[in-house]
Amino acid sequence: MAPGFPHAFRHPLRCRGLRYLRGMGSAIDDWFVSEVLVHERALMRFLHRNWRDHDEVPDLRQEVYARVYEAATRRVPDSPKSFLFATARNLLVDRVRHQRIVPITAVGDIEQLHVMQDELEPGRWLGGREALARLARALDRLPDRCREVVWLRRIEDLPQKEIARRLGISEKTVEKHIAKGSRMLADYFHGGSDSNAAPDKMRSERAWLSKST
Amino acid sequence: MAEQIDMTDNHRQIERDAALWLARRDAGGWANRQQVGLDAWLAENAAHRVAFLRLEAAWQESARLQAFAAGDAAGRIPARGEWARSPYFAPSVDGEKPIKHGRRVTLRKRRRWPVFAGIAASLLVAAAIAGGFVWRDYTRVDRAAWETAMGALKVVHLPDHSTATLGSGTDLHMTFSQGERDLELTRGEAFFDVAHDTARPFVVRANGYRVIAVGTRFDVRRDAGQLRIVVTRGLVRLQSAHDPAKPPAMLPAGSIATVTDGDVAISQVTPNEAREALNWRSGFVVFHRTPLAEAVREFNRYNTRQIVIADSSLDALRVGGNFKLDNSDAFVRLMQAVFPVQAEQRGREIVLTRKAQAHTAH
Repeated sequence: MAPGFPHAFRHPLRCRGLRYLRGMGSAIDDWFVSEVLVHERALMRFLHRNWRDHDEVPDLRQEVYARVYEAATRRVPDSPKSFLFATARNLLVDRVRHQRIVPITAVGDIEQLHVMQDELEPGRWLGGREALARLARALDRLPDRCREVVWLRRIEDLPQKEIARRLGISEKTVEKHIAKGSRMLADYFHGGSDSNAAPDKMRSERAWLSKST
Repeated sequence: MAEQIDMTDNHRQIERDAALWLARRDAGGWANRQQVGLDAWLAENAAHRVAFLRLEAAWQESARLQAFAAGDAAGRIPARGEWARSPYFAPSVDGEKPIKHGRRVTLRKRRRWPVFAGIAASLLVAAAIAGGFVWRDYTRVDRAAWETAMGALKVVHLPDHSTATLGSGTDLHMTFSQGERDLELTRGEAFFDVAHDTARPFVVRANGYRVIAVGTRFDVRRDAGQLRIVVTRGLVRLQSAHDPAKPPAMLPAGSIATVTDGDVAISQVTPNEAREALNWRSGFVVFHRTPLAEAVREFNRYNTRQIVIADSSLDALRVGGNFKLDNSDAFVRLMQAVFPVQAEQRGREIVLTRKAQAHTAH
């Protein structure tokens, strides 16, 4: 599949035999990566715009993904993108209903969450140049030591053991840097920014009054 | 609320676990037994699987950066920004770049892999055409200034990869040199997410104080005669600029410091409470039993149409809720619905008075 995996052959999970071990999952895994993850930027924009507590957005995103994936194990949606946004919207509505706050302007507001034009653009794996630029910027955002470790591992392709030796740190520490690096790279690569960034504009309008007042 | 916090922690934990699996598999010597363990973890639930797939996809993509190592000596890690900002790249998706960069280009000489020869070649061509504009010159001083109008909000990406979010009616001046990252807030409020750089302290000057950070997140707000600093991450040092003899105050995450007439008052709040003070970044403000007078001041920061409380007995009414900052109308409407308050438009002002029952004059 994926033009996104030029180095797929290196990874055990994508080897044929192990793929068989993973059973059913693998076809949906591929579908999820190539049809759903590519919309992460748009999804993040949507969530940021429609959810006022931005700290919760990464969690909402994960919850949306889990719901989408689960649904796909039963039946793969025909239109992944609209299914993704419908799922996101439903999640936000659920969340508002469960919060201990009473919407002042009718709950109607959130029921009319709009998907903006910019979110309707076709998702895609970024072209070579664009993807490289994003990856480079993502790498540069890593903390110093983490960046060194990721560079040596991914770009120079040194084994973790060798990296530990070279930098004079334990293998456990290298592993931790790799784990952290993978998370930060993913946020930036898929999402296009660190998840805490404030959105440029706020278009939704809602006001809540807490019950305590 | 409780179950939501749990869920939040849960998702973060899942992502951490997924990253550990990924890192361990990446360490090599991956035995079948471990693969079975990973498979079992992935099969446990969809949240595990999607978290892992997401990290794995980006991790695999990152190998494409090998294109840049072509021609470089093995083991040499390029400095931050040195390569990522090469003219090869399209203008930053990060947004504005107000800084004029120095002119110095380092061209790569040799290529290792034919696969990447084309990319490297176009890099060279692009570099030549663009005349090269980015490589950081450490002897240079970067200067820039930004301002926002009333009600506006702006995110500024600084050359060191820090970001500043400017609130309504704000002026910010930047002078970055080799030794120091200096910013002066002459008006308004700004939130800083500071890139870690121990060699260059990040200093925000305001109201005769220096707010000094290394890698952290904090907010500085200037009002007439008052300065407020909110720290949401890391540690910040607050120091008088005029009176170096004054001992500096150390502000850990969760501190809200208020400086009035040279007196510094510091309160410790929970991280969530500290973040609430920063909701203006998304255009919202949160009140918890906030006196009406204070709530009104908050709206007036963001709107040219000012709200005036004509009856001081209203000042102490307590307001709660989340509001959109640029919609003072909604706020005023709500005040009228909930409190014995009456609003009247007078010119550019919205005047709040107590409802008729208490005032026979009407």
